[in-house]
Amino acid sequence: MSFRIFEYNGSAIVAMVGKNCFAIASDRRLGVQLQTIGTDFQKIFKIHDKLYVGLAGLATDAQTLHQRLVFRHKLYQLREERDMKPETFASLVSAILYEKRFGPYFTQPVIAGLGEDDQPFICTMDSIGAKELAKDFVVAGTASESLYGACESMYKPDMEPEELFETISQALQASVDRDCLSGWGGHVLLVTPTEVRESTLKGRMD
Amino acid sequence: MAQSAIEVPPKGGFNFDLCVRNDMLTKKGVQLPSYRKTGTTIVGLVYKDGVVLGADTRATEGPIVCDKNCEKIHYMAPNIYCCGAGTAADTEAVTDMVSSQLNLHRYATGRQSRVVTALTLLKTHLFSYQGHVSAALVLGGVDVTGPHLHTIYPHGSTDSLPYATMGSGSLAAMAMFESQYREGMTREEGIHLVSEAIRSGIFNDLGSGSNVDVCVITKDKTEYLRNHMLPNPRTYVSTRGFSFAKGQTEVLSTKIKQLRERVVEVAVEGADAMEE
Amino acid sequence: MGDSQYSFSLTTFSPSGKLVQIEYALMAVGSGQTSLGIKAANGVVIATEKKLPSILVDETSVQKIQSLTSNIGVVYSGMGPDSRVLVRKSRKQAQQYYRLYKEAIPVTQLVRETAAVMQEFTQSGGVRPFGVSLLVAGFDDNGPQLYQVDPSGSYFSWKASAMGKNVSNAKTFLEKRYTEDMELDDAVHTAILTLKEGFEGQISGKNIEIGIIGNDRTFKVLTPAEIEDFLAEVE
Repeated sequence: MSFRIFEYNGSAIVAMVGKNCFAIASDRRLGVQLQTIGTDFQKIFKIHDKLYVGLAGLATDAQTLHQRLVFRHKLYQLREERDMKPETFASLVSAILYEKRFGPYFTQPVIAGLGEDDQPFICTMDSIGAKELAKDFVVAGTASESLYGACESMYKPDMEPEELFETISQALQASVDRDCLSGWGGHVLLVTPTEVRESTLKGRMD
Repeated sequence: MAQSAIEVPPKGGFNFDLCVRNDMLTKKGVQLPSYRKTGTTIVGLVYKDGVVLGADTRATEGPIVCDKNCEKIHYMAPNIYCCGAGTAADTEAVTDMVSSQLNLHRYATGRQSRVVTALTLLKTHLFSYQGHVSAALVLGGVDVTGPHLHTIYPHGSTDSLPYATMGSGSLAAMAMFESQYREGMTREEGIHLVSEAIRSGIFNDLGSGSNVDVCVITKDKTEYLRNHMLPNPRTYVSTRGFSFAKGQTEVLSTKIKQLRERVVEVAVEGADAMEE
Repeated sequence: MGDSQYSFSLTTFSPSGKLVQIEYALMAVGSGQTSLGIKAANGVVIATEKKLPSILVDETSVQKIQSLTSNIGVVYSGMGPDSRVLVRKSRKQAQQYYRLYKEAIPVTQLVRETAAVMQEFTQSGGVRPFGVSLLVAGFDDNGPQLYQVDPSGSYFSWKASAMGKNVSNAKTFLEKRYTEDMELDDAVHTAILTLKEGFEGQISGKNIEIGIIGNDRTFKVLTPAEIEDFLAEVE
């Protein structure tokens, strides 16, 4: 048994910024190494209407972390009577991860949200909370290398929602097709100031 | 101590709950993920009126460049900045923590922070973790006792130098300093030499890359020159990029949720979200 | 504190349902030097008397108004040493919040945390309640704010408030002078006039303190010279 821990379940997550909007997408596979266990596995979670977090890596840790994040956000909502800004939430996630610096959750979060004045915000971090803020796109998971390549060439600044949807979907599909451990279609969330469009993509099933 | 029934937000300090499980996985041969590093060239020098700090902007995870334009010069106090190399999360956390301690210290004393204070706080923290907090730092600033430049190693040892380099590109950068540094340089000469040292790291060390960040600290002014130089512009951008026709992606299902306009009564919105 | 068999709480109910320790604490506040605060349309001002026990005391070494963060300041009435404990704890709380969220702590949150500390000291073993009331002035995304926190741990938001020796007179004066659309400078004038009302002796830049926060969201304690300028405007 020698494998990298991220390769146990497999995952691909990507977020992109458009003009006053953003999209976050993931694959749908849950595997145990090369064996596929589930084909409609949730990896993107809602924090509030305009804030989402994608959790790549070891699925058990991702789900545990998700529960803690929801807990902490609800506590914040009750205490401060407001939703968290994406930047604030990213700092919280980073602090939670760094607390476990010497015994980390094996998960890599991708955070995407609309902040004040509906400005899009995306960010990712490693499993111990080193934030990486990007203006264009962020990626995570076993397909991250191919996602870097696909996004680097397909991304354009200031895309309108429709084009952003096509771009992120194509980048995701192209990348997971070169990764054994992720795939089986995708989930895409397209968030504009007025609506959230949640789509399920058709993809290869091998 | 018994664990409380509900999880409460942490008061600080590390949590070792998962160490046993993670050790078990390691013993079974599972490889743990690599952390984001700043391969890094970071430098600093003392010139006539103060201190110049410099850094590249590449962050790596193994052989992958994961951030092409990250910030490695961290704020410590209005008159003190700190360049960080090593595990990105550690450099960020340790500088944030000390910066916060300095802030409280300033409130308590009503005086400007001193560079030695920052230095001592950093080295005691790093020493107490015996090198496991892997941050290699170049600390620079100007205080009531004049300009200061220090290097701090992950195990907590420190140096006080007129010019210093750290990170994987430190040799390349030091080559520039050793050949060109002299005492009593002007501001322009200082910035120029720092930029050249960083460029030397960017082009000769694969762990360093992208742009040059510079920070100039003098007795009564601090200038943070973010992306002072951009020696590696993108050369492969097509003007049109890819264009995907609408509806090109095969979609199985779509669910649309209309969002309400931002409600002024925040409490109502919060209460709604809680019901889900 | 709190681990010996004698460290039970000193603050216990009297048969009539009162916590007399808290009432004594309020008396300590009531006999303290007068402090007041006014929330203007574009900022907040807090002010206090600074009467020293002897003319031989170096007045520059006494600082009654202090900042908790760059945009929140505080003044107390009652026991000076007790206030320093609260100031220290509040500053630390503000820093902890910042380190967690990388965002400045909202005024309401800091007030709540400070009030929680004061409440804890009415119920814990081996300690007594704080002999101070605080006036907290801050400016954040929710605009200018003024809070009063009492030894019991209760807190209220005020348009203008006073505490200490001359409370009732000062509050009556403030009720007469206060208007909703007051500018910060007018509020400073009103604050000075209110202090002057119950002041024994000649008011000067050295025997009062004033802290202001305006649209720039930076809390500032005025220097004696700056206070003198305002005093000249009032006359």
